[in-house]
Amino acid sequence: MTTYPILTATTFLPVVGAAAIFLFGNRLARWMALATTLTTLAVSAPLYLRFDKTSSALQFVETTAWIPSWNVVYGMGVDGISLPFIFLSAVLSVLCVGASWTAVQTRVREFYAALLVAETAMIGLFAATNLFLFYVFWELMIVPLFLLIGVWGGAGRIYAAVKFLLFTLAGSVLMLVGLIALLYATGTLDFRELARTRLGVAFQAWLFVAFLAAFAVKVPMFPVHTWLPDAHTEAPTAGSVILAGILLKMGAYGFLRISLPILPDAIQLFLRPMLALSAAAIVYGAYVTLAQTDVKRLIAYSSISHMGFVTLGIFTLNRSGLEGAILQMINHGIITGALFLCVGMIYERTHTREIADYGGLSQLAPIYSTFLAIFCLAAAGFPGLNSFIGEFLIISGAFSAWPWLGAVAVWGVALGTTYILWLYYRVVMGDAKSGLRGLRLDLNAREVATLAPLVLLALVIGLYPEYVLGFLRASVAQLLVTVAAAGEAAGRL
Amino acid sequence: MTDLILIVPELVLVGAALALILIARHVERAPSAATWVVVAAVAAMGFGWAFSSEGSQIGFRGTIAGDGYAQFFKTLFAATLALAALLSVRHLDAERVPPAEYYALLLLASAGMMLAASAADLLILYLGLELMTLCSYVLVGITRDRAISNEAAVKYFLLGSFASALLLAGISLAYGVTGATGFAAIASAVSDRSLGQHPVLLVGVALVAVGLAFKIAAVPFHAWAPDAYQGAIAPVAAFLAAGSKAAGLAALGRVCLVAFAPEQRVWSDILVGLSALSMAIGSLIAVSQTNMKRLLAYSSIAHAGYALLGLISGTPEGAAATMTYAFIYAFMTLGAFGIVIGLGQRGENLVGYHGLARTAPWTAALMFLFLLSLTGIPPTAGFAAKFGVILSAVRAGYVVLAVLAVVCSVVSAFFYLRVAVLMYMTEPEGAAPGRLPAAVTTALAVAAVVTILGGIFPDTFAAWTVPP
Repeated sequence: MTTYPILTATTFLPVVGAAAIFLFGNRLARWMALATTLTTLAVSAPLYLRFDKTSSALQFVETTAWIPSWNVVYGMGVDGISLPFIFLSAVLSVLCVGASWTAVQTRVREFYAALLVAETAMIGLFAATNLFLFYVFWELMIVPLFLLIGVWGGAGRIYAAVKFLLFTLAGSVLMLVGLIALLYATGTLDFRELARTRLGVAFQAWLFVAFLAAFAVKVPMFPVHTWLPDAHTEAPTAGSVILAGILLKMGAYGFLRISLPILPDAIQLFLRPMLALSAAAIVYGAYVTLAQTDVKRLIAYSSISHMGFVTLGIFTLNRSGLEGAILQMINHGIITGALFLCVGMIYERTHTREIADYGGLSQLAPIYSTFLAIFCLAAAGFPGLNSFIGEFLIISGAFSAWPWLGAVAVWGVALGTTYILWLYYRVVMGDAKSGLRGLRLDLNAREVATLAPLVLLALVIGLYPEYVLGFLRASVAQLLVTVAAAGEAAGRL
Repeated sequence: MTDLILIVPELVLVGAALALILIARHVERAPSAATWVVVAAVAAMGFGWAFSSEGSQIGFRGTIAGDGYAQFFKTLFAATLALAALLSVRHLDAERVPPAEYYALLLLASAGMMLAASAADLLILYLGLELMTLCSYVLVGITRDRAISNEAAVKYFLLGSFASALLLAGISLAYGVTGATGFAAIASAVSDRSLGQHPVLLVGVALVAVGLAFKIAAVPFHAWAPDAYQGAIAPVAAFLAAGSKAAGLAALGRVCLVAFAPEQRVWSDILVGLSALSMAIGSLIAVSQTNMKRLLAYSSIAHAGYALLGLISGTPEGAAATMTYAFIYAFMTLGAFGIVIGLGQRGENLVGYHGLARTAPWTAALMFLFLLSLTGIPPTAGFAAKFGVILSAVRAGYVVLAVLAVVCSVVSAFFYLRVAVLMYMTEPEGAAPGRLPAAVTTALAVAAVVTILGGIFPDTFAAWTVPP
């Protein structure tokens, strides 16, 4: 079907670009980065166009011998669950380059090199078909983000970078032990083979805890979310976009790729605590968000609440909830990415993130206010925009599985609408603040071009979600078969 | 005569050392002597490989083995020697150390390490280790005018000779019970005459393990390392960290897996304790260090603990994992020390790393690579090495120890990456560092290549890690 390894090319093109930029790109760093990310997006295009939506099998599979002594192969492949994330990673990377065009003025070369290494890690993680490769990309992701936060971030950047690093590393090393235990017990790390192997329930439970440590920190689930507000707030715009857009999805993707298919019996054991933590994240996250006075911090905390919806959807273990969760992961990447881009664009001009310093932007920056309105409405779950579909699916999934959780989720939606519209009200409405007068606040063509694709995506998914759901359907159905079998087994006990 | 083929690498190094001493008066500049040492190391390595298929695997009446295990470690020691020789050039000229003497000692110490790795007899093992350690004492104190160097040498000597005495006592107890010093003979005596529970033998095993634990600086026998590393000039510290530790591990591997194979339960427990303590205490104390050489000393203590994880299982796979670990650790620690050396005086303290990424981006990037590898973050060789030893610990059922290992590596991330924080996230202080000397650059390039290659293709060295 294909003559060249598309997934490998898509994954490693950015790192090649990063090396080229680090070696040669003194003046041309921005252009080289833009060219690399655009080429990566173009190279990945056949993946979406030729993907067979009716099959739950891995597609575009590449397998090469890699580490025979540990029985680890280099395996790449995508199914309906991973493909949308590859697309999202490739798109957001392009936009990150655009958003950093003028914002990053120091050590430009290193900045774009780090950004592109992060892109490789993101795409590779979603394309990996075995746990070893998954782990390699998982860890590789930490390094460029550590640098992005710590070098180009705000005033508290070092504290935020170290906190991010230690939290994520502490989580992921426990995954390493789980991985090694799996390798020892089964002799393989291939996702599909592992899913076919039925492990003992007690062993599964231990593994679930080990992997939970890694995934929960990344999502982040309550109560291990405390690194997130610092990291998101202090990171430069591109860093925040990648953190919110992709890094948080890695944890939820881990649940979908590893916990659900490989440890289905353990899921049944831990179902209630996981649902309770999700509900806590939704409500607690929303209330904390309401109290924020810093725009970026507000959006950061809102992520905790939104990711609570995602984990809630995953652990409803029904079709509607799972599809909604995956769709909502994409949506959150688009919307929160866009909101961070918006904050970054206005911050570049005003150098303040305090909500109190803003007001009346509608008069001073009408184009900006329009974009912000679209993204805020999307975040609030306005019908016709993408989040509405995702939240609707999750909530209906929750109602059919655990009605009281559906009620909590609705409460969360109401709070979410409140904090995001109140933010919009304070920033955009009212009289223009005196400090803002005289600044050229409105967006330029480059910034419009950066935001426009996200508006388009939000609208397309909102009006015709089948574009994304069509990819998911067969893979989610396959996943549910595994989970349902374990559920029946647990029911019989 | 065929026996001599087994020790060709040792002979080459000893010959080179003697030649250097003979013409010592005429060797005034370090670079020429360094070139000589590198040539000798490469020759030793080349001859070793060329003759490896000829002759018997064991010679000198069964006291010296020429197997793949010895071959592997000899290659490692030759590489360590060559890199340490290159890294020394700058310090020797700056500190006015006579180059011929210095390099002769380095050569002899390496010959001792090689002998220890190929020993199939406790006495030859002792001989090799003593040759290494005696040269090391002098190397640590070679800057005669510096008090700190003298102090370090004396401390190292006192503790080291105590350890040697314990090792010798252990050897004599083992001999007393089994009537043999050859590894194979000891093993067969223990199993034939069922001496497994003989209390004197158990004490002997413990004493030998303790003596060797000193060489690899495992807690609680680590006290010499931080002082010796700090007092010695940086290239000597690098040589000790990479070479001396690998020699100790080589000896420990062969003694445990061959000579005391029937006593696995005993030494396994000892090694578990040493490993756990080394990882935990090495990582925790390193957090508070501000001197780079001391930091790397505590890091080397922690890494001794990780390396032991492989041996604990007592299986050939586990020993192979430890061999890989020793190999990769040697290159990444030589790399990190290489940066310290390349930066000169400012490299010795953490303060000197402020804003390095801005003033010397390549130096900083290389240091970052070595630090990531020491932390064990993929895709660097340090990760592959750590994965191998932890896998073997889990296989042997030591899951709690494996968890401790990964928890310690998070602690170690804190102090390794604090250096990265200083390099990348703070403003430069003072002038930019000068260009790295060509010799140092060469050594760093080799270390970086191994660190990257071993990470992307973890099986690169698998074919050569032949367990004893």
